[in-house]
Amino acid sequence: MYKPKILVVEDDPAITNLIRTTLDTQEYQYHTAKNGAGALLDAVSYNPDVIILDLGLPDMDGVEIIRKVRGWSSVPIIIVSARSEDQDKVDALDAGADDYLTKPFSIDEFLARLRVALRRSRTDQTAEPAQSSLYQNGELRIDYAAGCAYMGGKEIHLTPIEYKLLCVLAKNTGKVLTHNYILKEVWGTALAADIPSLRVFMATLRKKIERDPSAPRYIQTHIGVGYRMIRQ
Amino acid sequence: MENYQAQNQYRPGAFQKGHLKIFFGYAAGVGKTYAMLEAAHQAQNRGIDVVVGYIERHTRPDTLALLEGLEQLPEKIVEYKGISLKELDLDAALQRRPNILLVDELAHSNAAGCRHSKRYQDVEELLRAGISVYTTVNVQHLESLNDLVASITHIAVSERIPDSIFDSADQVELVDIEPDDLILRLQSGKVYQKQQASRALNHFFTRDNLAALREIALRRTADQLSKKAQKAENETAAKAGEHILTCLSSAPSNAKVIRTAARMAEAFHSGFTALFVETPETRDLKGENLKRLRDNMRLAEQLGARIATVYGDDPAVQIAEYAKVSGVTKIVLGRTNHSASLFMKSKPLVDRLTSRMEDVDVYIIPDVQPLYKKKRALLRKPEQKFDWKDLGKSLLLTLAATGISFLFYELGLREANIIIVYLLGVLLTAVWTNGYFYGILVSLLSVVSFNFFFTVPRFSLRAFDPNYPVTFLVMFLASFLSCSLATRVKRQAKQSSQRAYYMELLMSSNQKMQQGQSEQEIIRIAAQQLQSLLGRPVLYALLEKDRQLRFHAVPASESEQTMGRLTAEELGVAEWVAKNDKHAGATTSTLSHAQNLYLSVRGNQEVMAVVGIPSKFYPPLDTFEKNLMIAMLDECGLILERRKLRAEKQAAEMETQREQLRANLLRAISHDLRTPLTAISGNAGMLMEKSVSLNENRKQEMYRSIYDDSMWLVNLTENLLSITRIENGTLPLRRDAEMIGDIFHEALSHVDRRAAEHEIRVELEDDMLMANMDARLIVQVIINIVNNAVKYTPEGSDICLSAKKENSMVRIEIADNGPGISDEAKQRLFDMFYTVNTGSAGADSRRGLGLGLSLCKSIVEAHSGSITVHDNQPHGSVFSFTLPLEEVKIQNV
Repeated sequence: MYKPKILVVEDDPAITNLIRTTLDTQEYQYHTAKNGAGALLDAVSYNPDVIILDLGLPDMDGVEIIRKVRGWSSVPIIIVSARSEDQDKVDALDAGADDYLTKPFSIDEFLARLRVALRRSRTDQTAEPAQSSLYQNGELRIDYAAGCAYMGGKEIHLTPIEYKLLCVLAKNTGKVLTHNYILKEVWGTALAADIPSLRVFMATLRKKIERDPSAPRYIQTHIGVGYRMIRQ
Repeated sequence: MENYQAQNQYRPGAFQKGHLKIFFGYAAGVGKTYAMLEAAHQAQNRGIDVVVGYIERHTRPDTLALLEGLEQLPEKIVEYKGISLKELDLDAALQRRPNILLVDELAHSNAAGCRHSKRYQDVEELLRAGISVYTTVNVQHLESLNDLVASITHIAVSERIPDSIFDSADQVELVDIEPDDLILRLQSGKVYQKQQASRALNHFFTRDNLAALREIALRRTADQLSKKAQKAENETAAKAGEHILTCLSSAPSNAKVIRTAARMAEAFHSGFTALFVETPETRDLKGENLKRLRDNMRLAEQLGARIATVYGDDPAVQIAEYAKVSGVTKIVLGRTNHSASLFMKSKPLVDRLTSRMEDVDVYIIPDVQPLYKKKRALLRKPEQKFDWKDLGKSLLLTLAATGISFLFYELGLREANIIIVYLLGVLLTAVWTNGYFYGILVSLLSVVSFNFFFTVPRFSLRAFDPNYPVTFLVMFLASFLSCSLATRVKRQAKQSSQRAYYMELLMSSNQKMQQGQSEQEIIRIAAQQLQSLLGRPVLYALLEKDRQLRFHAVPASESEQTMGRLTAEELGVAEWVAKNDKHAGATTSTLSHAQNLYLSVRGNQEVMAVVGIPSKFYPPLDTFEKNLMIAMLDECGLILERRKLRAEKQAAEMETQREQLRANLLRAISHDLRTPLTAISGNAGMLMEKSVSLNENRKQEMYRSIYDDSMWLVNLTENLLSITRIENGTLPLRRDAEMIGDIFHEALSHVDRRAAEHEIRVELEDDMLMANMDARLIVQVIINIVNNAVKYTPEGSDICLSAKKENSMVRIEIADNGPGISDEAKQRLFDMFYTVNTGSAGADSRRGLGLGLSLCKSIVEAHSGSITVHDNQPHGSVFSFTLPLEEVKIQNV
């Protein structure tokens, strides 16, 4: 069986220890790096499936590392941040990170995020050639060629904006997309004034694809950050 | 100027003014300079830093010998019309900053090109800069004694100092010598050269003269002493009793009246006001007369008078009104020798005044110069330019009157009616045109055309009836008179409307300035008001914290041009104004070469701003504009100061509040953090060491305890972070439109684990409901309230989250059906560090810090919402808060 490889970049020994113990219980392979320079080296030589990156490293800004890694690789990056300021997360996500965890996080939460990232990393590798005209996620199916979306085999009627929104989320399944990113992709602008409209369209879209919009299964809201399509 | 800018260090408040010591003599040669130099030597011997700033060169040799051993400041050489003049180098003195500076001849007038036109102004600046000054002055140089001395010696002295500077001196040392000794000294050539001496002896230094001068000097010294004593005792009480009023005019004799009034004010220790009644005539003053009026006004100001201006046609009425309102007890007037004109009330001003005021003493000062006669308005040529339009109007009116008269004539109406019609024409002309000229013209034309068209024989200028010439004359006089009356009425209306406009301007500027949001805005509003008053661009700059002036200009359209003229030199003048709190620049006697007039805008304590009024390319300001401008700037200064003080006070209050909060927080944290930390470290320690001896159940219990305590700490940390964000004010709220449903979802995923035992429901009236909020903080609010509900209600209770639109707000309610909260507790629930003691919750319940709800309140209020608590039916509590509603208009669907 293939054991996924995980690169853990963290300078605090206690947290490193906690993550190592957790990964051991799940029988993942892992490698740890203590600083940014080491992390960049390992990212190349170790060829990890997922990188877990602490934003507060002693030698380098975490966002800088993400940019560098994104220069050659699309490996999923989960950032861990002690700062609860949303802007840091948004910056990291805009730089190309996939997901984030805020300290203190629970082990369950950590493992859940890790699984999402690994699945994404796998589909990226396997489904690359089939980056085709069809998208399937649970009961949700999108026919890009026809410009139609289906839920449980039934076509759902979407407005052009809702459809665009759904496509942007689907193409980045598993990844947290920031408000700015979505606005840019769908509307072509990134004005903060457009955020209310984004919320409204997201709510109408949800009503059409979620069975219970108050407990969404497909589109997850990240308060102050953005949205994410979840792989079922 | 450069020197001056280099040492531009302004320290308000902490500044000690320098002391002024005056060596006062009754004539030249009494030994003032000698006494001053001796005093300087004594001071130097005591270790005080003494520097000689300026000593007159014609001083006698034995006096000059005393200069030996004293540091001397090099004099400033000023080239003036080919002559090099020596002056005190003010900038050098300011830079040298000795303890005491010696400046001879206080009454000296500086050469053109110096900063101030008078030496006493230099001295004032030195004093303001904290340098003490020794100086000399003779009795005849005192402004108020000038006339008196001149009447004794028959020599007019042009160099004078205002009495205020003499009276405010910290020390006056009278240098006295017997007149006989002085004459002896003079004869031996110690004061003047031999030739000069004999002339002086014959003219000036007669024994009688000297005795008289000596008496005046002695008395003045005594006055200065008693005045100082009284000032120290009670400044206001001294002024309360009497109030002397004098009137300003352009007459040459007015100066004498003002001086007399000033002397009286001094003798009575009374208040002193100089009143200027602006009449249509004074408004038209030109050239020499205007200059004289300004000089007189300046004189009054120097003599300590408050200048007031009133407006009206009749000075008597205005003076009486003003005197009544401001509690004047004595009026000092010159005897007017205006010849009464034909249409004016013929009684002299004094009589009219006394008939209006029974309880005020009126003092008349005889006029010694009867040569001056003011030209009456009627005799002057009309100052208006000839206007074709007005001429046309006049001719048309005459024509119309003639036309109507023809009609009347044809109808057979009597001649009287025709005359009335012509009179009407004259009246209308007076009203519709400017000036007497057209009225008189129409009067004449009316008489002629009446004669031509309507008297027998008609269509000729002859008249048969001997009555006609009388009719013509009466008709002309009547029309002439009515015309002049109409013109007067019109002028008065214009005047009063102008006054109303000015008053309105003053009121509205006050109102507008009050509404200014920032200091910068207030001064900008003031500048705009000035601009509309004076009809020219205005420069303004706040005196900022770093004592810098950054000028702006209104109106924006001329800003570039106006700012372009603001050279480094001009800025230097402005900075001088800011530092010395005196007006300077064009039209003043300080730094008068500047293009602009700079005025300080001051509050009660310090200069708040500086305003620049371009003067070089604009007509001079009239008194009225000047007064109004100063009134407006004073108002502005007070408003600025009030605003500043309020801001400072608020900042101080906020700081103390924050300090208090920090202290309380620290105390509470250090106390309450220990409990969970003890539990965590204790449990973990046990598990490390005694792991083997503990059974699995026990271990599980300890794991759970560690987890619970750390989660409690996590929640506490979140709250503390939010508090620092809210209370610090450094991090602004990150407000965005958020879906209420998302917020509920997020909050519920973070509530206490024990919530599993409770039934939590969400009821949304509209699932698209959005509010404007900082999501993280509002999530914290909901978590805190829900956690409280979980904590203080029994297991299995219902908790319901709901939200609905309420006008422009969203109301969020979190209701439980627990035991409810007592009314007493409700009152204090949102106070910081308030916790409810619930006996029922048992030993495992952890007391909170009492931060949660007070934080909720701060957060909600920072969102301009409000938070309340009320009872649920049938039991339980409802926490309810509001947030601003966000409504979205979707455009590009």
